[in-house]
Amino acid sequence: MIRFILRRLLWGIPVLWVVATLTFILMQVVPGGPFDKDKPLPVEIKANVEAKYHLDKPVWQQYLFYLQALLQGDLGPSYKYLGRDVNDIIGDTLPVSLQLGLLSLLVAVMVGFVLGILAVVKPQSWIDRAGMIFVTAGISIPNFVIGALFILWLSHAYKLFPPALWEGWRHAILPALTLGLAPAAFIARLLRSSILEALHQDFVRTARAKGLGEGAILLKHVLKNSVTPVVTFLGPLTATLVTGSFIVEYIFAIPGMGKFFITAVTNRDYPLIMGVTLVYSAIIVLANLVVDIAYAYRDPRVRVE
Amino acid sequence: MKTIGIILAVLGIILVITLISWGPERSRLSSQESKIFRMNLGSEPPTLDWSLATDSVSITVIENIMEGLTRYDEKLQPNPAIAKRWEVSGDGKTYRFYLREDARWTDGHPVTAEDFEYSWKRLLDPKTAAEYAYFLYDIVNAYEYNTGQLKNAGQVGVKALGPWILEVNLKKPIVYFPSLTTFIVTFPQRRELIERYGEHWTDPDRLITNGPYRLKEWQHEYKVILEANGDYFDGRPQLDHVVMFVVNEPTTALTLYETGDLDMVRLPPEAITFYQHHLEYHRIPVLRGYYYGFNTTKVPFLDVRVRRAFSMAIDREELPRVLKGGEIPSTSWIPPGMFAYNPNIGLKFDPQGAKRLLAEAGYPEGKNFPAVTVVYDTNPINNLIAENLQAQWRRNLNVQVNLENQEWKVFLKRLKTDTPMIFRLGWGADYPDPDNFMVLFTTRSGNNNTHWSNLHYDELIANAASETDSKRRQQMYDETQRILTEQDVAIMPLFVATQNILIKPYVKGLQLNAMEILSLRDVHLTPRSRESIQ
Amino acid sequence: MKKLSVVWWRAPGGHKPDLVMLGSGVLIIMVCIMAALAPWLAPYSYDAQDNTALLQLPSSEHWMGTDRLGRDLFSRLLYGTRISMSMGLLTALSALVLGTVYGAISGYVGGRVDNWMMRWVDIVYALPDLLLIILIMVIVGRGFWGIFLALILVSWVTVARIVRGEVLKHREQSYVEAARALGAGHLRILFRHILPNTFGPLIVILTFRIPAAILAESTLSFVGLGITPPLASWGTLANEGWAALKFYPHLIVFPGLFIFFTILAFNFFGDGLRDVLDPQNRRVYR
Repeated sequence: MIRFILRRLLWGIPVLWVVATLTFILMQVVPGGPFDKDKPLPVEIKANVEAKYHLDKPVWQQYLFYLQALLQGDLGPSYKYLGRDVNDIIGDTLPVSLQLGLLSLLVAVMVGFVLGILAVVKPQSWIDRAGMIFVTAGISIPNFVIGALFILWLSHAYKLFPPALWEGWRHAILPALTLGLAPAAFIARLLRSSILEALHQDFVRTARAKGLGEGAILLKHVLKNSVTPVVTFLGPLTATLVTGSFIVEYIFAIPGMGKFFITAVTNRDYPLIMGVTLVYSAIIVLANLVVDIAYAYRDPRVRVE
Repeated sequence: MKTIGIILAVLGIILVITLISWGPERSRLSSQESKIFRMNLGSEPPTLDWSLATDSVSITVIENIMEGLTRYDEKLQPNPAIAKRWEVSGDGKTYRFYLREDARWTDGHPVTAEDFEYSWKRLLDPKTAAEYAYFLYDIVNAYEYNTGQLKNAGQVGVKALGPWILEVNLKKPIVYFPSLTTFIVTFPQRRELIERYGEHWTDPDRLITNGPYRLKEWQHEYKVILEANGDYFDGRPQLDHVVMFVVNEPTTALTLYETGDLDMVRLPPEAITFYQHHLEYHRIPVLRGYYYGFNTTKVPFLDVRVRRAFSMAIDREELPRVLKGGEIPSTSWIPPGMFAYNPNIGLKFDPQGAKRLLAEAGYPEGKNFPAVTVVYDTNPINNLIAENLQAQWRRNLNVQVNLENQEWKVFLKRLKTDTPMIFRLGWGADYPDPDNFMVLFTTRSGNNNTHWSNLHYDELIANAASETDSKRRQQMYDETQRILTEQDVAIMPLFVATQNILIKPYVKGLQLNAMEILSLRDVHLTPRSRESIQ
Repeated sequence: MKKLSVVWWRAPGGHKPDLVMLGSGVLIIMVCIMAALAPWLAPYSYDAQDNTALLQLPSSEHWMGTDRLGRDLFSRLLYGTRISMSMGLLTALSALVLGTVYGAISGYVGGRVDNWMMRWVDIVYALPDLLLIILIMVIVGRGFWGIFLALILVSWVTVARIVRGEVLKHREQSYVEAARALGAGHLRILFRHILPNTFGPLIVILTFRIPAAILAESTLSFVGLGITPPLASWGTLANEGWAALKFYPHLIVFPGLFIFFTILAFNFFGDGLRDVLDPQNRRVYR
C-alpha cells in the first residue's frame, strides 16, 4: 500500500513540473509579459520585475532561477499590486475558496445522494422521471444562469439572502448552492446508474434468496458496491468545483482565488496567473491522489499495477 | 456501511471546520450595527499614498483618514483645519499658515509644519514622479525643482518657520490658494516613516495618519475597513467603523443596499427611473466632466481634421437618454455651476461637416481608415457610452472603432505607459475654480494624457489664474476653451455627470456637495430596525 | 416494501421511438436553422441602436424586448445563435479530427510511443479545462478565433483517449490480422478497417463535445474574456443581461433559456445516441 501511495505521489510531481515549465514558456511568449523588454512598464514595477527575474541573464538561466524560487515556495511578486507577493495574495484568498469549495462539496454530495437513491426507490414513478429530468437539467445549465436565477428569486425578489460578499453564513448559501448543483446532478446520475447495475448482479439475487428485506439489501449490499464510481468521480469533481468557482466567485463578489484569477487575467498580472495556476494544479493532483488511495484501499486489485 | 460511515464523518468534519472558521471576527463587526457605516467604493483603490493618488477612489479613502491645512464647509469655502488661521502678504504672494498645536498623528506625534514642508517637497521631488506635481507649480522654484533644473529643494518656496508656522511663497498671487490646501496632495507626511518603510509605508499595519479615521484593514479587491481615531483633534467621530467594499457590479451593490448590507449606494443607469421618486433618492449635480481624449501623437489622430470630424460626428443628446441620470450633454469643457461656464463653445453635432473633414484628411467615406481602439475603464456607464459612440461613428462616419476595457487601476497605468488612441476619462474638480479644469491640459500637467501641447494655451491659462477682472478672465477662459475643444480638439467633452444615490434614512450627517467630497467625519446612524426598502 | 425492479429509463435503440430524444433532435435542428438563417429571420440588425426604445419589455415590436442601448434582443439572440452554434460545431469537429488522429496513431503504434503520447494526454486531462482555456486565451487574445483555438487545444484530449481505447480494442481483432496477411499497409488498415468501426462512439463524442464547447464559450464571454463587441454570443448577451438582472430580467432570462435548452437538447440527444450506437457504454463521454 505504501509503495502504491509513493508511486502515485511521484507521478504527481512530473505533472506539476510540466505545468510550471509550460507556464514559464507561456509567459516568455506572451506579449507584454514580465519578460517582454519592448513593452513600456511602469517604472516601479519594472525595477521589481527585473530584479526578481534576472532579466539580463540568458533564458535557460532565468528558467533555473524560476524553478529554484518555486521549490522554495516563492511565487514571485505581483505584477499589478505593488509591494505584494503572489504568496500573500494566495494566502489571503485560498482559504476563502476552500471554504466555498468544501461547502459546495457538501451540498453536492448530500443532494446528489438523495436524488440518486430516490430515483431507484420508486421506480418508474413520476418522482424518478422528474428526478432524472432535473438531473440532466442540472448538468446542462451554466452556473452563471443558475446563479442569476437564484439571485433574482431569493435576493432581489424575496430579499432572503444577500447577493454578494462573504461576511457570514448568510452570504455562503447562494454561492454554495450555485456551485454545488451541477456536481450534485452528476453524482445523482452516476449513483443511479451504478445502483441499477448493481441490482442486476448475482449477489443481489443471493441476498433476496436468503430472505433479506429490500431495504436491507439496498443499504447493506447495493450501496456499498455502487459508491465506488462516485468516489472515483470525486477526482474530476474537484476540477469542476475549481472551474465553477471562477464564475461563482465572480458573480457573488467573493474574495477567493478564482475571482483573483479572472482579475489577474484581465489585468495581465502574469506572476499571479502563473502562481494561481500552479496552486490549482497542485490541488487537483492532490485530490486525484486522495481518490486513488481511497479507491485502492477499498479495492486491493488496483494496487498491483 | 463502513464506507458510508467514513464519508459521513468526513463531511461532518468539513462542516465543523467551515463553521468554526467563521469565527468571532465577523460577528463582532455585525453585532454593533448602529455604529458601522458600510458603503461601496466600486473598484480597488490603486494607492493610498497621497503624493501618488490621482483618482477618486483613492481620494475617497484618503480624505477620511487624513486632514490638511484647510477643509471645505457646506458652501465650499475653505475653513481652518490643521491651520487655525492664515495671513496673506500685501502683494498676495506670501502665505503664512499658523498651525494648531493639538493635532496629532495616530502614533501620538504632533502634526508640525515640517511634516507639511516634507510632503510638499516630496510631491515635487522628481524621484517621486508624482503626476500631481503640477498642482504646486505656483510656488517659487517648484517647477524648476520638479523638472530637475534645480537640485536643491531648500530653494523651493515652502518653508517651516518652526513647528507651528508654514510659510509659502508664490510666483504670482493666487486668490484661491487656501482652496488648494484642502486637496490631498498637500496633506502632511512623516519623513522618518516613509524613509524607513519605503513603498510599504501605506500598509495597514504601518500607516500613520491624522484624520478622523485610521486604516484598520485592507483586504484587496474586497474591502477597506476604517476605524474611528480617538485622538482626532476635532473629537472622535460618532461611528466606530467604516467599511468600504469593493463591489464592481453596481446592480449587485444596489441589491446589497436593499438587503441591508450597505448604507449608501450609487444608482446604475437602468435603476434610476425606478427610484426617482423614492424618499431615499438624491440627485446632485457635480462638477465632473466626462470626456474622450485623443492621443494626438499617433495616426490618425495626429491630424486635427480627423479629431474634429470625430467630435462633430456625435450627437451628445443621445447620451443622457441612454444613461437616464439627468446628465448634461456638453461640447464645452468648464461645467455649469463653475465660473466661466459657456455652453456656446465647442463643436456642434454636424455629420455632414464631419464627413467632409474626414474626406479632406484622406479617408473619404471612411475608406482606408486605420484600426482604432477606444480604451476605457470597466464600468457599465462607460460600456454604454462606448457602445453608443461606436455605433454613432459607424453611422455618421462609416468608421468602425474597436472597444477595449480594463480595470481602473490597470487602465490608469496604461494611460501613462501606452496611451491609447482614444481613451475615456472624467475629471472632478479639485477646487471650485475653472483653473483646475483648464490647467489639466497644459503642457506641464501630469494629468494631461493627450500629449497635446499648445504654448499659447499654456500662457493664457497661466495669466487667467491671476487675472482679477472677471470680465477679462471670462474672455480668457472662452478663448482657451475654444482652443481646446474647437480648434485643436485635444479632447471631446461629452457630458457633465450627476450623482444619483440612495442613502438610508437612518444615516445622518452626510454632506453631499458638487465636489463629490465624501466626508464621513460627522456621520452618525440613528437606531433602526432591519427593514429594507420596497 | 415493493420489490425493487430494474428501471428502464429508455427503450434500447430501435424498438420504441424515444420521444425525448426525438424532441431534442427537433430542437437542435431548429436552432441550426435559426443560426443559418439569422440575417433573414432577424427583424433588426444586431447592432441597430434605438434611443427611443431603451430597455423595453417584450412587446409586439420587440418580441424579446430591447437592451440598454435600444437594440432588439430577439435579433441579437438570433445572431448570437450563429456565433455560439458555429463556435460549438467548429470546435467540436476540429477537436474530433485532431483527437482522432492523435488517438488512432497512439493506439495503433502502441508500445513506448503510445505510452509517451498518452502521458501528454493525461497531463492535459488532469488539469481543469476552463483554467487551460483561459491561459491559452491570455496568449492568443480575445475574439472568435482566439476562443476557437483555445477550445480545440483543450478538448481534443477527451477524444484522443476514447479513440485510442477503441483502436487498441480493434487492433487485436482477427479481421485486422487477416487484412495484414493480405498485404494491406498500416495506414490502410487504420483508416479503412479500424476507424470505421469507431464511428458509432465518434458520433456520440461529437454530440457531447458541442454543448461543452457552447458552454465554455458562454462562460468565457460571460466573464468578459470572449467575443468582442459589437458581436455578441449567447454568453455576451447573458453578461449584459446580468448587470440589469434586477429590473430587466428578460435580458438574461432569454439568453439563459436559449443556452440551457440547447445544451439540454444536445445532452438528451447524445444520451439517446449512445444507447443506440454504443449500448455497452462503459466509457465516459463527457
